[in-house]
Amino acid sequence: MRHNKWSLLVLAMILGLVLVACSSGSDSTEEEEKILNIAERSDIPTMDPIMTEDNVSTQWIDTVYEGLYRQAPGGEIVSGIAKMEETEVSEDGLTYTFHLREDAEWENGDPVTAQDFVYGWQRATNPDNGSFYGNYLMSGKIKNSEAIFAGEMDPEELGVSAPDDNTFVVELETPVAYFDSYVTNANFLPVHQEFLEEQGDDFSLSPDSILSNGPFKMTEWKSEEGWTVEKNESYWDAENVALDGISVKVIKDSDTQLSNYEVGDLDRVSLSGSQVSDNQTSPDYHSLTESSVFWLKMNQESVENSEYMENLNFRKALAKAFDNEAYVDVVYGNDSEPVDYFVPSNFVEHPETGEDFQTGNEELSYDVEAAQEYWEAAKEELGFDEVTLSFLSQDDDVAKNISEFMKTELEKNLEGLSIEANNVPWSRQLELMREKEYDLAVSGWGPDYKDAISFVDLWVTDGENNDVGYSNEEYDEIVKAVKGELANDPVARFEAMQEAEKIALEDAVISPIMQRKTSVLYKGNVKGLDQLNPYGNNYSYKYVDIE
Amino acid sequence: MVKYIFQRIIYMVITLFIIATATFFLMKLLPGSPFNDLGGKMTEAQEQLLMEKYGLDEPVPVQYAKYMAGMVQGDLGVSFQYDNRSVTDIILSRLGPSAHLGAQALIIGSLLGIILGMTAAIRHNTWWDYTSNVLAVIGISIPSFVFAGLLQYYLAVQWRLFPVSFWEGPIYTVLPTIALMIFPMAICARFMRSEMLEVLGSDYIELARAKGVSNNTIMFKHALRNALIPVITVLGPMTVSLMTGTLVIEQIFAVPGIGEQFVRSINTNDYPVIMGTTMLFSVMFIVVILIVDLLYGLIDPRIRITGGKD
Repeated sequence: MRHNKWSLLVLAMILGLVLVACSSGSDSTEEEEKILNIAERSDIPTMDPIMTEDNVSTQWIDTVYEGLYRQAPGGEIVSGIAKMEETEVSEDGLTYTFHLREDAEWENGDPVTAQDFVYGWQRATNPDNGSFYGNYLMSGKIKNSEAIFAGEMDPEELGVSAPDDNTFVVELETPVAYFDSYVTNANFLPVHQEFLEEQGDDFSLSPDSILSNGPFKMTEWKSEEGWTVEKNESYWDAENVALDGISVKVIKDSDTQLSNYEVGDLDRVSLSGSQVSDNQTSPDYHSLTESSVFWLKMNQESVENSEYMENLNFRKALAKAFDNEAYVDVVYGNDSEPVDYFVPSNFVEHPETGEDFQTGNEELSYDVEAAQEYWEAAKEELGFDEVTLSFLSQDDDVAKNISEFMKTELEKNLEGLSIEANNVPWSRQLELMREKEYDLAVSGWGPDYKDAISFVDLWVTDGENNDVGYSNEEYDEIVKAVKGELANDPVARFEAMQEAEKIALEDAVISPIMQRKTSVLYKGNVKGLDQLNPYGNNYSYKYVDIE
Repeated sequence: MVKYIFQRIIYMVITLFIIATATFFLMKLLPGSPFNDLGGKMTEAQEQLLMEKYGLDEPVPVQYAKYMAGMVQGDLGVSFQYDNRSVTDIILSRLGPSAHLGAQALIIGSLLGIILGMTAAIRHNTWWDYTSNVLAVIGISIPSFVFAGLLQYYLAVQWRLFPVSFWEGPIYTVLPTIALMIFPMAICARFMRSEMLEVLGSDYIELARAKGVSNNTIMFKHALRNALIPVITVLGPMTVSLMTGTLVIEQIFAVPGIGEQFVRSINTNDYPVIMGTTMLFSVMFIVVILIVDLLYGLIDPRIRITGGKD
């Protein structure tokens, strides 16, 4: 009898478990709605437009807000709150007058006015708010922004004004040839002042403290679990937003993401490591080109070895001595493109011919024989037989593979060279690079707007990001012209930047390695995820559809 | 008893003060700053501005004094990585899932382990014993993330009995709980078996048997009680590690727990979150040690918690 009781209890427990498992199936009403189910690897660090510094925040701020213009798939800039075809630009390229659409509304029904843009931009430059990207993007470009950031002027003196509710005027300090893509950045979004002041310190911390004016509005946000956005019916272009909503889960583990995709809980998933080769034959597999380029940095102002690193033959030998195709295979094993340039391809096009920025350059391509000739020349010029260089890298597994690969390749091909790996945490690597306490390092760059200057500007003498100690007067002159007198001559400007890249490669400033690609799986009925935006947010969900 | 607890609380406060002080100064030795993790795009002037905003430009002793003053008033500051979010909110929102999962795994795991260990001891040298031993060795030697992967693959992906991941209801806790409970179950089974064998062979059990005391009374009133003491000793630290989250299991099942948050705060130099989570773990550890000490006395009155003449 006692045994029977136990058996019944166990049976009841098993039945209960099976029933609960069966009841966890999907809700049939959801199937009628177009809900995109996706995952992100981290929670959203901030939904405050001026505080965004990372991909996740940028993506979701862009999804619930709209600025003057926005990116359509593939990076095409289209009208947002401002009507693009009506924008007036002064002859000197220093004043932009935007005309805002009258039917643009905030989620609460209030109209989106020019004053909302004035307030939003002033807020981004106010040093008390600590916006890193606001200052990074606006300083030296928007009139008075640099002085405001330095605390020498009030934010109200920023070169922006609202003559009336639907006219927004921007004054620049220098022509910005890429202004259209520039203003799509999250730091240039409007802000509803009254709403923000009501929320105080809670602004943007929960769906209730976010006021949308974009294609979607946030309806749920559970820290570290996920969030949902729903179509914003008060958005001026709501009729062209196909999705009813997007449900996002935070899943840090890539295998878990893939498992969720396999059981149908996700519509799109990014692949990493061996997942790429395992899924390459799947009809859902796609390889999407990014605009991020990675390169080997060769620090000419190295504290330890500047006497060697300053030598052009020495740098060219290093630059040509490693096989970047093998690098991509060994380190990433995906479709990333081995490259011989540092301005990405499929990023910007010639203003007249439409030809890609990259027309071919083999100056620093892999060539062991040539590398050894440069190496012998450097040995003769510098009078050394053996030399030891440090290779700075992060301390994660991928970075350790990178340093191991580079050490093997360079030591194998250049006789007398020894590489000492220095693996440190990422924040420390950045610190050491800024202090120029390294010889070699692998690093990359992603653009902030759709213009080659985002890359070309990196190597000007004493530039903020020039941590390789490069200096070339001719190069500096070209970049200066690109930012100044050529700013209103798109063709000459474009060709000047091509020339600048050629000079930098001839001088072996860095040695290009690869342009990154992202491998993804997405369901065949999901449309609009087939390409990544070249900068800013990865996808424009406004244009995504489920068929 | 009250005096003992009062004394222990005073020692706890002193311990926490030492931990807070040591953590604060050790944290300052971490390389890098919390604001240079931006792909190298931040200039020194901009970084300086942020240092001023968060009071990191002040001398370290001043920062320490301000932090301790805030902590005493219950203010753990705001996160550097999660814009404007208070550390207390971050900790409270992530502690819940970790504690829930940990408690569930601990309770089920330790109960099953005790039952398994007792069964093995009572049926010494039978297939019950051998099976229990094999299960215990497997549970101890194979890491929980291996079980997690297998459970996820077979029970969720292949057979679709449970959800793959997320944290949305009781059904979502089943797989992570099983993955987490195997280790405490195995440990408890091992300890329980060996202690029970020793106790069952002792003179007073023989005496009880000779007196005709029923088998159930011998097992549950005499043997189990004494055999539990070493089990409780190992369960103490295990409670803290389970309830404060196990990074890998949380990641595999996408549980929004605190383990991952702690590791990330260290990697990103998010000082207020590092301090907050360290203090939380310390408080939990110290409280659990106190509870274990008090439990000794309850289970075996011969163990005098106050010692001396009391």
